[in-house]
Amino acid sequence: MSDTVRVATQTRPKVQVDISHRYGALVVHQEVRFAVRENEFLCICGPSGCGKTTLLDVLAGILKPSNGQVLIDGRPVDPKRDSISFVFQEPSTLPWLNVRDNVATGLRIKKVEAAEARRRVDEIIEIVGLRDYESYFPHQISGGMKQRVAIARAFAIDADVILMDEPFVSLDQPTRERMQREVLHTWEHRRRTVVFVTHNLEEAVFLGDRVVVLSAKPARIIATIDVPLQRPRNPLSPEFTAIRARCVEIMQSLHVETETPRRAG
Amino acid sequence: MIGDRMSDAAAPTKIVDDAGKERSRLGGAVSTVFWNVVVLAAALVVWQILTLVVNSAFFPGPATIVRAFVDLAINGDTGGATLWEHSLASVERVLVGFGFACVAGVPLGLMMGLYKKIYTNTRALLEPFRFIPPIAWIPLSIIFFSGMTRFAFLIFLGAFFPVFTAALIGVGRVEPIHRKVALVFGASKPWILMHIVVPAVLPDILGGMRVGLGAAWLTIVAAELSGGISLGLGRMMSNYAELVQVPQVIVGMILIGVLGFLMNEVLLLLEKRLFRWRWQVTL
Repeated sequence: MSDTVRVATQTRPKVQVDISHRYGALVVHQEVRFAVRENEFLCICGPSGCGKTTLLDVLAGILKPSNGQVLIDGRPVDPKRDSISFVFQEPSTLPWLNVRDNVATGLRIKKVEAAEARRRVDEIIEIVGLRDYESYFPHQISGGMKQRVAIARAFAIDADVILMDEPFVSLDQPTRERMQREVLHTWEHRRRTVVFVTHNLEEAVFLGDRVVVLSAKPARIIATIDVPLQRPRNPLSPEFTAIRARCVEIMQSLHVETETPRRAG
Repeated sequence: MIGDRMSDAAAPTKIVDDAGKERSRLGGAVSTVFWNVVVLAAALVVWQILTLVVNSAFFPGPATIVRAFVDLAINGDTGGATLWEHSLASVERVLVGFGFACVAGVPLGLMMGLYKKIYTNTRALLEPFRFIPPIAWIPLSIIFFSGMTRFAFLIFLGAFFPVFTAALIGVGRVEPIHRKVALVFGASKPWILMHIVVPAVLPDILGGMRVGLGAAWLTIVAAELSGGISLGLGRMMSNYAELVQVPQVIVGMILIGVLGFLMNEVLLLLEKRLFRWRWQVTL
């Protein structure tokens, strides 16, 4: 709680979430409230099936919550007006477009002027290292490269908010680690407000400025943890291990699930 | 540069050698043509040998067929109409009827695929038509229509459903994730239709068109056999059958096969051009 207060005094939150959502009789989110600072990298961590993807759909404005709302810059979210990007969990490149045109998809929809769009695509393709593959079709490149295309597509538009839904879950460990570094690298070059969803604590602590921990369904926020570590972070450093241990402890308390969830951070 | 670092770190799984691919593709095409010619020639030889064994006026060989073909092409049939004129008449009818079937079938299929309610609520009216063969419409069409209108109508009936059904089913197979990609960027409905639905469904539509084209040829010959006109390959065959002139009938049959084959090849070529993005599955 104190954390949220501190944020509010520092800068105006970019995104404000205050929702409850039910799907028929099933309560998916119960009073989920949090704020994301401008240019913050926020990780949301929770057990599988706790409604993380649904939460992102609500944040993106493509799903209306049954109660409450999502505000971006103080106004209700609207994908047509707000500039939001989404990196999906499953492969989402458009198979009929080559790498370059895939990356440009958002720019085309946002009707960015052609010369400007070309410049931005060039820049982001360079950053994610796909320059030699611009004319390749998705079926000609590997799964990891496809995910990089999706990330480049998300960063290509000047998105106010970038939402990422376990984007590396289908990748093997070395690729996943490389992709984590690449996302951070891209983010450091193109500072944006990022909400990154994962069920992997290590990943959340490695990437995030803060980690929001959700409970199992119905999802509630049980903790918000600051990660005040310099990047690049070393997962083997004592500071990292300490924060990770605290998260693990909180996550484990979830499985006991009898006590009222305690707050941390 | 930053980019260089990234590309070093990320080795691609598969690099396709474009030049090598081009070479092998060309080699493949040559070998395909070669084998088709060989098979065709062998079939003709077998056929010629069989006619020598059977030795009957009702079982003409390739040589007789070629003679009949040349004669029909230069001198025309008993009424003076050349093979060229007969073919043109048939092709024209097929293209008009098939064209209308595509123009109506694609948008209707897309619309009913996108708005499933329209389809499910009109199913009982729509679907039975699919099972009335175009040939069954011939008697009525003779009463109501004449000339090109009649043929276009009958061919339309034959070609419409394959195209319509392909578009309808194709829409159902559009990946929801692709729509979501556009949706989160704030894309409008028309944008999603043109840039997500249409490209995704186009391969299915072209497949449906090839089936529809087959149905169109099936219908045209049957329709032309029914009389009332002087031109058309079906008409020509039916005339010669009445005269018990087998070679000319077979010329008509072969020509229908070849014309249909050529039109199909054009569609296949279009498919290859348009859908380079699709992976090829081989066993």
